[in-house]
Amino acid sequence: MWKASTLPSDAATEAEQPFACDGTWHPPGGSRAVPARLVADRGRVEIVPADVAAEVALATGLETEVEVSARVGSIPRRVVLPDGSVFVSHDNDALDRWLQRRHGAGYGFVAALERFHPRLLVVVAMIVALCFATYRYALPVMVEVAVAVTPPVAPQMMGRSVLATLDHSLLAPSALGEGVQDSLKRQFRDLADLSPRKAEGFTLHLRRGGRIGANAFALPDGAIILTDELVELAQSEDEILGVLAHEIGHVEHEHSLRRLYLAAGLSGLIMLAGGDIGAAVEDLLMQGSLLVTLSYSRDHEHEADRYSAALMARAGRDPLALGRLFARLEEELGAGGGGLLSTHPATGERIDRLRREAESQLRD
Amino acid sequence: MPAGGRIEQFTFAGSAREYFGIWIVNVLLTIVTLGIYSAWAKVRRMRYFYGSTRLAGSSFDYHARPVKILIGRIIVVTAIVIYNVLANLAPLAGLAVSLVLLPVVPWLLQRGLRFNARVTSFRNVRFDFAGGYWGAARAFVLGPVIAVLSLGILAPVTSRWLWRYVVGNLRYGGRGVACEPSVRALYRQWWLPALLVVCGLVLVAGGVVALKASSLLQAMGYDDLRRVLSVIIPIGIVAYLVLFYGTAGLVYHAGVRNVALGATVLDGQHRFRSTLSRGRYAFIAITNLLATVFSLGLARPWAAVRMARYNAAATALVVAGSLDDYLSGIVVSGSAVGAEFMDVEGFDFAL
Repeated sequence: MWKASTLPSDAATEAEQPFACDGTWHPPGGSRAVPARLVADRGRVEIVPADVAAEVALATGLETEVEVSARVGSIPRRVVLPDGSVFVSHDNDALDRWLQRRHGAGYGFVAALERFHPRLLVVVAMIVALCFATYRYALPVMVEVAVAVTPPVAPQMMGRSVLATLDHSLLAPSALGEGVQDSLKRQFRDLADLSPRKAEGFTLHLRRGGRIGANAFALPDGAIILTDELVELAQSEDEILGVLAHEIGHVEHEHSLRRLYLAAGLSGLIMLAGGDIGAAVEDLLMQGSLLVTLSYSRDHEHEADRYSAALMARAGRDPLALGRLFARLEEELGAGGGGLLSTHPATGERIDRLRREAESQLRD
Repeated sequence: MPAGGRIEQFTFAGSAREYFGIWIVNVLLTIVTLGIYSAWAKVRRMRYFYGSTRLAGSSFDYHARPVKILIGRIIVVTAIVIYNVLANLAPLAGLAVSLVLLPVVPWLLQRGLRFNARVTSFRNVRFDFAGGYWGAARAFVLGPVIAVLSLGILAPVTSRWLWRYVVGNLRYGGRGVACEPSVRALYRQWWLPALLVVCGLVLVAGGVVALKASSLLQAMGYDDLRRVLSVIIPIGIVAYLVLFYGTAGLVYHAGVRNVALGATVLDGQHRFRSTLSRGRYAFIAITNLLATVFSLGLARPWAAVRMARYNAAATALVVAGSLDDYLSGIVVSGSAVGAEFMDVEGFDFAL
């Protein structure tokens, strides 16, 4: 903080010019407006009426007791005096010179940065770079960290509550014969034993799909649900096991948790960077972030397909059986997947990739 | 109340150039500080808009302290995180919590309005907000529910609740503000947007019929034509919905503002006047949105300033006698001045 020197020689060399600027003065708590002048000299501030020659101060105070509002664009500044009265001035530049004398050249850094200047292009470039880097590098790292610190009890609770909700609403108990069920469960255990979590990390739930038809999905706690309709659609055991291996892949890669954290992270980022963007645009951004999570979801499907091919090859089964099931599913249900708006990639692409993956597995 | 009087026009003195700098630096510093600066950013933004809004040569001022806004935001964000974790781990518990929290919503909104009023001043005198809990519950919870359940037919009634609560409870230097728009005048602003909505619905119904017809085309063998139509028609439906509902909402908002502000009186003697052209208002809002989207957000400062300028230019205070004489008579004393007042202003729970 600036302080008047007590040495007479110093006082002579850096003699502080008395500072003055014009404005309006309001009494404490009052709306009356008096044209006035602020005069600062040797650490004392005085507000004097503009049109009166006689120096009857309206208010006085020490420089250190006076509060000046920060500069924002060219809006008027507020100088609050110790008695609660307020001096308002449009002379931003003069006030800045006075305040810089008191607080040093660093004063008003933000306001200086905000001034319309080609330098703002650099600011724009920095924002674009930061947004890109956050999305491309920081967000995936944040998702990894969040997955790593999630206590195992969380996926267990999620899996249990989702399964309970599904059993109440969509799914019915399986109508498959006991022999078929037992054999499916045994083969599933053998397959799952080849994955890092072993058979104990997974539970196979057989259900009648009803409205959701031929389907299979994995819950974060390792519960895998397989519908009767899919079993009926499959023409070989390998086709069913290929699907189960795909779901094991989702669990091993913790895809549900990842998608959850990604969606949360994206909406957090939009809220953070949003600021004053307008309600309509913020809504648009939130919808846009859905497209991004869908693209992640399609990546996850590819990852699970690769996992399935590798696991099936390791089990000595046919890694391509899954592709045949996809083709049949597409015939039954019509073309699905692929576009920007779908959770799953296009079937043809998935079959091609499976074939390539299977070939590389056989080579190894 | 005298019919005539001096007309004091509101003006907005801000410029797109100036606000662009403030806005872009706000975004940068908010990202760099991982969101903490957003509270300071809000204060700078509000001070710019309030400080650029002038009436009779004086500006408004915004006094909120960033730390108060930051605390409010931390509380809100923590609540959102806890709620989301709960909703994912145990959906039933999440539902229960949201039912328990619903009664808190009017309280939060009431406190938010009071905070905003108390940190706003004009010529060194603060505003205040005297609205209570039940008024907020009626204006913000019951009102929207009734408006939706009545398919918008009772919207003017609920708009009246909203404006009476939000504006009619304002105080300036201890002087009251009355806002008593008549339901009849509000309904006069209602039929045009209602007609727009009905037109939109008719067009959507037409689209659905055309879609059905296109499956007939397929049965008759015109498969390519059907495929083209089944893509074009849904896009057309969505575009119409956005256009009609969006425009209807804007037209309605502008009309209600004109009526409600026109029925607002300060201290029983000074009447407000709002003269928005509904078409121009909707045009500005829609072109603002398009400019913001197609400039990837960079035109937002220009859009915000353009809207503020139009709103101010369409607003005036019809003063009985001299505004300067009236304002000079206002002196606030006691608890409504200084530090104590600032400390009871509370927190801003808005995000």
